[in-house]
Amino acid sequence: MGHREQADETKAVADDGVDVTLIHWMLSLTPAERLQVLQSNIRSLEKLRGAADRR
Amino acid sequence: MPPTVADVSGLLRVLAEHDVEFMVVGGVCALIHGAPVSTFDLDIVPERSVANVDRILRALLSIQALHRDLAGGSIAPDPSRLRGSGHNLFITRSGPLEVLGTVGQGRDFAALASRSHPVDVGDGLTVRVLDLDALIEIKREVGREKDMATLPILVRTLAERRKLESDPQTS
Repeated sequence: MGHREQADETKAVADDGVDVTLIHWMLSLTPAERLQVLQSNIRSLEKLRGAADRR
Repeated sequence: MPPTVADVSGLLRVLAEHDVEFMVVGGVCALIHGAPVSTFDLDIVPERSVANVDRILRALLSIQALHRDLAGGSIAPDPSRLRGSGHNLFITRSGPLEVLGTVGQGRDFAALASRSHPVDVGDGLTVRVLDLDALIEIKREVGREKDMATLPILVRTLAERRKLESDPQTS
């Protein structure tokens, strides 16, 4: 990993381990869009769970 | 029959359509404020007057709410429990819903009202949401492991929001 990549990673993840880029992305959305992200995540996880159950 | 997918927006709409006075707290509150967290239920703190509890009851009945019961029983919503300060955990046809009389160190709707604001969550629906700094305070008060686990994300989200508010050009 080069110095530049290392610096980028340091910027993206704060000292407490929180991914700041994810926060920035969420903050770029409206509250309604954030709820849609949640709903979409829940549906995806349900699908994955369904697939796992069918194995 | 339990739902296969939680419908958070659907739950919010049912509460709004029944004119229930409430505020969103918990994971959905954090998410609405922009914290990258996930959750499978909706937590609300309702105003606990007799009239509002009656409206909650009607909303709960419309979505076939039953208390979540580890023993597998089917316990219908009980107005006296809804008027109390405890936590009522329901499963509904739109997913899990937690109706919390108080949160943190005994803070109820009246105590938190000034620290909450209406938020447009789309499709013409506006709901009252606890402020992020108040949510952080409450999570610190409670101090459970699961609350402490998400705390750094909430604190960082609040800091980033404040940065954006003070200098929108930096985003």
